[in-house]
Amino acid sequence: MNGAYWGLTTLDLLGKLDALDSNEVIQWIMKCQHESGGFAGNIGHDPHLLYTLSAVQVLALFDKLNVLDADKVANYISGLQNEDGSFSGDEWGEVDSRFSYLAICCLSILHRLDKMNVEKAVNYIASCKNVDGGFGCTPGGESHAGQIFCCVGALAITGSLHHVDKDLLGWWLCERQVKSGGLNGRPEKLPDVCYSWWVLSSLIMIDRVHWINKDKLVKFILNCQDTENGGISDRPEDAVDVFHTYFGVAGLSLLEYPGLKAIDPAHALPVDVVNRIFFQK
Amino acid sequence: MNLSSFWSLIPLIDEVGFIHPSQFVTLNKEATSSLKHEDANFWSRDHKLAISTDVLLPLYNAAKDAFMHAISQYKRHGNLSDASGYASNLESEAMKHSKALLLLSCDFGTAWNFRKLIVSKKQKIMLFLDELLLSALVLSYSPKSEKSWCHRRWVIKMIAGKCSTLQDIAGKESELVEKIAERSKMNYRAWNHRCWLVSYMTTEQVLHELKKSRNWAGLHVADNSCFHYRTRLMLRIMEEHCHKLEDGTSDENNEIYQIWQEELDWIEALIKRYVGREALWLHRRFLSLSWIRHFTTTLGDTSNYRAYNDFEDFQAQAMYSATYILWLTKQISDSQGIELPEKPNLGSLETMLNMACPERSFLWDILTRITGKCDEVLKENNC
Repeated sequence: MNGAYWGLTTLDLLGKLDALDSNEVIQWIMKCQHESGGFAGNIGHDPHLLYTLSAVQVLALFDKLNVLDADKVANYISGLQNEDGSFSGDEWGEVDSRFSYLAICCLSILHRLDKMNVEKAVNYIASCKNVDGGFGCTPGGESHAGQIFCCVGALAITGSLHHVDKDLLGWWLCERQVKSGGLNGRPEKLPDVCYSWWVLSSLIMIDRVHWINKDKLVKFILNCQDTENGGISDRPEDAVDVFHTYFGVAGLSLLEYPGLKAIDPAHALPVDVVNRIFFQK
Repeated sequence: MNLSSFWSLIPLIDEVGFIHPSQFVTLNKEATSSLKHEDANFWSRDHKLAISTDVLLPLYNAAKDAFMHAISQYKRHGNLSDASGYASNLESEAMKHSKALLLLSCDFGTAWNFRKLIVSKKQKIMLFLDELLLSALVLSYSPKSEKSWCHRRWVIKMIAGKCSTLQDIAGKESELVEKIAERSKMNYRAWNHRCWLVSYMTTEQVLHELKKSRNWAGLHVADNSCFHYRTRLMLRIMEEHCHKLEDGTSDENNEIYQIWQEELDWIEALIKRYVGREALWLHRRFLSLSWIRHFTTTLGDTSNYRAYNDFEDFQAQAMYSATYILWLTKQISDSQGIELPEKPNLGSLETMLNMACPERSFLWDILTRITGKCDEVLKENNC
């Protein structure tokens, strides 16, 4: 399901969503829905928030949110909120600030944020903040650019960015840019194309994107493309995959690269899709 | 693909790996023992199992089909209570297949979930502990497997309160993370698990962990996760200390003062020995900031503030040391209204940064300006 979201969002950013038969995709997605309302990664598997958001995002791309029983999906999601405001990923109870983002983003797309306790959810995310300004999986967890995207994205959607120390977090995030122009996700790590999305979207949401060298980052991403078969890899010369292709293209979209649709940094969907969700009734 | 030779090997192993067929020749030469398993696709000895990469895909497909079939059978009939043992037979079949599948596909969530379902129905400590063994086996071939780490946390949450050996388990878990971190560098999932364990540790354990992980950290100075783990441990110690001060059960800072002092001395020595390591400088940011926040006001002693002016020739070291001072200046002015005993000269820091890393001059300009702005605010407030 995540693969479907990565591939299809990339196609939409490239203006080529019609390359696939939308009915076939939608039928498959609906076969992945569990009786609880949540979606599984594939037919016959167990549901999880990870796949529920991807399923809803793909339906939004195709302007087919109306095939969903939105209340049923929203009940599945709000049922996973815990007493302290955190979210479990599924019925087995693993807690992670990523799951808070999945729940908040998904309920926002479904216009059902009122089904959860937003205040408690925001406070839990704020409790995952570290001395370096970043965020971890749970309170006291190490800062990681992927977790930071989730926490900042969730705070942005709920209008709670005042919980972020923007200069401090911006400082940590801009220190992710290495000599080659690429971004890493944690100190001392190699750069990886996927952080072009996670670091960059966070910097945009906190209005500090001018703290990195954008031209060098564009060059780094372009260097990761396999010009023979089109895909993008984590680093130059590595094997390509749909995950890094999406994050490369989404990063280039945030960098206003010509020929790509604009992407919304919080909902991780093309801006025209987000506008359709929120401004067209 | 015939799964039976694979199953027959599984109960005996404690480590599994995937190898290229050409490596079998070497393994077979070395293995003179009769324990060797005679099969072109598997090799097993001393409880280690190697699987040929040639056979992985068909083996995975067979294991997946067998598991999916077994759980659909179980879901259809498994809840029947019958004396013939039909239901329990279905259950053990599905458990067997889930295990085989997880040894080939570490993040197959539906298989992990099925095991959780069965084990939680039985509520036997031994069965829960068996799940820790299976998860360790999966981690032996896939040390970053998120679902395997998650399965361990589920087990620990399930037995917490039921099991008198919980502290022993927390200690053993911590050892497992260290063993895996040795083979798999900068493993976020592994270290995140260790950070999570801290809330299950006693104060003595936390102090012991702090002592024990120091050697490891000193040998892995680029592994930021280990330094973050020390941050986590130190913050827990600080938290308990602050509670004691509030309760009035303690009124002295000596012990905690000493812990911070030792850590600051140690990190300074490491920074001098290993030039230009980002993780060391970031740990120092944390230590110095919390030192100034907690001890300058309570002890009125700023003599231990460690501004690092000993610039090395190496560019990275110069850059990290200059951003260290900038960062600290900004943070202190921002939060506490504490003035640094020795004001850094922002202009000369910017010059230093431009010399060390001229291609980022736009950033040094921004960072110096926001630090300068904080400093201004501080001056105004003090007037």
